[in-house]
Amino acid sequence: MAIRDRVARLLEEMPREAQFPSQGATLFVDLERRDTVSAYTPLAVTRTVLAGRGANMYYLYRLLDESLTPLDPGIPLIFGSGLLTGLVPSAARGNCTSWSPESGVLLDSNAGDYFPSFLRMNGFDHLVIYGRAAAWTLIVIREGRVTLEDASPYVGMDNIDMRAQVARDLGGTWTKNLSMANITRAGENLVLTSGVMAGPKAVYARGGPGAKMGALRLKAIVTMAQTREFPTAAPYKPYNRHIAQQLLATSVVKNALSKTGTPFLYKPSRLLGAMGTKNNQETTWTEGLDAEHFDPYRPGMEGCFRCPVNCRPLNDLHKAAPGRYDKGDGPEYVTLGKFGPNLGIDSVEAVIRLNNVCNDLGLDTASTGSALAWAFELYQRGIISAQDTGGIDLRWGDAATIERLLFMTAAREGFGDVLADSTRAVEKGHYPAAALKYLIAVKGLGQSDPHDARILKAFALGLAVATRGMDHLRNRATLEINARINDNLAFKAELYGGPVSAEPNGYEGKERAVRACEDIYAIGDSVGMCRFTTKLFNSPSLPGIEEFRTQLANVTGLQFSAGELEQCGLNVMGVERLINHRLGVRRQDDTLPDRWFDEPNPSGPYTGERIDRKQFDEMLSRFYAISRLTSEGVPEEAWRKELVGALGHG
Amino acid sequence: MVTVNFPAALQSISGPTLVVRESVHTVGQLVEALDRLVPGLARELDDPLYNIAVNDELLLHNVDARQVKDGDVIEIVPSMAGG
Repeated sequence: MAIRDRVARLLEEMPREAQFPSQGATLFVDLERRDTVSAYTPLAVTRTVLAGRGANMYYLYRLLDESLTPLDPGIPLIFGSGLLTGLVPSAARGNCTSWSPESGVLLDSNAGDYFPSFLRMNGFDHLVIYGRAAAWTLIVIREGRVTLEDASPYVGMDNIDMRAQVARDLGGTWTKNLSMANITRAGENLVLTSGVMAGPKAVYARGGPGAKMGALRLKAIVTMAQTREFPTAAPYKPYNRHIAQQLLATSVVKNALSKTGTPFLYKPSRLLGAMGTKNNQETTWTEGLDAEHFDPYRPGMEGCFRCPVNCRPLNDLHKAAPGRYDKGDGPEYVTLGKFGPNLGIDSVEAVIRLNNVCNDLGLDTASTGSALAWAFELYQRGIISAQDTGGIDLRWGDAATIERLLFMTAAREGFGDVLADSTRAVEKGHYPAAALKYLIAVKGLGQSDPHDARILKAFALGLAVATRGMDHLRNRATLEINARINDNLAFKAELYGGPVSAEPNGYEGKERAVRACEDIYAIGDSVGMCRFTTKLFNSPSLPGIEEFRTQLANVTGLQFSAGELEQCGLNVMGVERLINHRLGVRRQDDTLPDRWFDEPNPSGPYTGERIDRKQFDEMLSRFYAISRLTSEGVPEEAWRKELVGALGHG
Repeated sequence: MVTVNFPAALQSISGPTLVVRESVHTVGQLVEALDRLVPGLARELDDPLYNIAVNDELLLHNVDARQVKDGDVIEIVPSMAGG
């Protein structure tokens, strides 16, 4: 069935009126025919998977034609904001969903800044975009009115120039009444590590959404509107004050996130011997990249829409005559790790500059850093040579060469064309099959963060079972790295719903920690809450089920018991697994890179630690059992019927 | 004598470094000694954000019982995950 038939069938089931206060419409955009139509997510779907990431899965499940390929215009690109996005402090997030051209499995990526909130303030909770435009196009949403406009003046622009030009041409002010989700040259060139930028640094990063958007010839989605008050079921601002106070009183927010941001994690990771270095051949690196060494280059902090935390560090290299990449936003810990130790770079200034280049080029620093590190190890081992790289010497730590390679990647020039194919470089014929042994990826997606998880088994399990591939933001049991919590077994059991080993490198009970995190994070994504301010990510005292259900009742009028809301989190994962199953994912794909099974950790207090295959497999079976999954990792039959009953057939 | 280095977030209470001169044998005893030097410091350290490293060895569990000896350098390390 063609995409238009699938959309028509779906629209027949969708109401034309909002189902509850504050609900925005879903806008379907056919870029090829330049048609738009809107309807509302059915209430039964909202009660099953909420909105944001959850309802994005509903749309993908219903519209996916797995006989096509990810970049086919018949595969939709879906944006969705959460039920509380734009309304609750720190709920400024939304998701971008499709079939990943990079990994070949689910594409689902989350971003904040202002676009997800302003989209809602224009009256839309979701965008479902399909069809290939005849010419490069902008979707412009002004006070809720949608127009498709000529994007040809912006073709070839990267993020810095694009943002400046759009503000000049369309008017408005970023952070006040103008927001945008846009691609760069990398997206236009179908670079598989390209993201969709949602701000100067904010990016829907993982899985190649930039390439997907480029394949539809969509350059940007722009929202223009005054921020407006939502009609809600009940007053919600008094409870917002409670949430804001709760956020700001939490130690990790007060003492770390709002002062320095995420680079704090670098130091514990390197001390632990868990800092992925040189494509995880090594596991510790210089103290010269500890967070405090970034302090002189951090003029301030910024934040997302109505977030009181302000965790995004700005940077300024204090050059006498600042160039294009001497100031910017970031870096976050992921970028620090991927463009520091994992590429053998030991200079704060080099990391900051490469971060700024990636933000402009619209490259996912996780996937791009992974693709670079993989290439560098292959070169080190002689699996590829200077003949393959066009004469470029891939030496660890050579920041100038790495910067050059970033530009070549965005343009798909020379060896950049190989890097642009990311984890698919063997499949595309660039590398020999022997290269796969050194690929640090799961389900075709390079590892998101630089933490080498041979030690912390809960981290390892999370990376293996994450539905979008090797990514820590889906389910990381971050509190496994906090000794005070590890040493309080009763508290851990209460947090995770059963006993969890105190030992970070133990396997017992770790499935419970991952399950609990996966559920609450899926709920957080579906209401629009930031991961950093969701319970269990860094703190047990951040907003969680109780705060979400209270504000869902105030904002939407929908009453959820704690158990019903937890089930929504599980349901989101369940639908994602149904989608992945249609894309060929099986138990054997819930695994880890060979290196972590076969090579002992080379440094730190856990020297010699690795993943035991038998114990990992047993842990995976326990995870499936408590997740209502079959031995192949898909929802059990009764649950699958419940999901299909609520969402319809794919 | 055990030297304890503190992160910026705690330095308004502790200063950058404290030296514990009384005899202590475990991290648990060390924290009690720190609280005697700076009343209230133990409460500040009873926070999941803060881990303890002994001579650059980061401790992730069984912390209070960890042995310390004369000459050791202890560091309070904020630990968090990131994106």
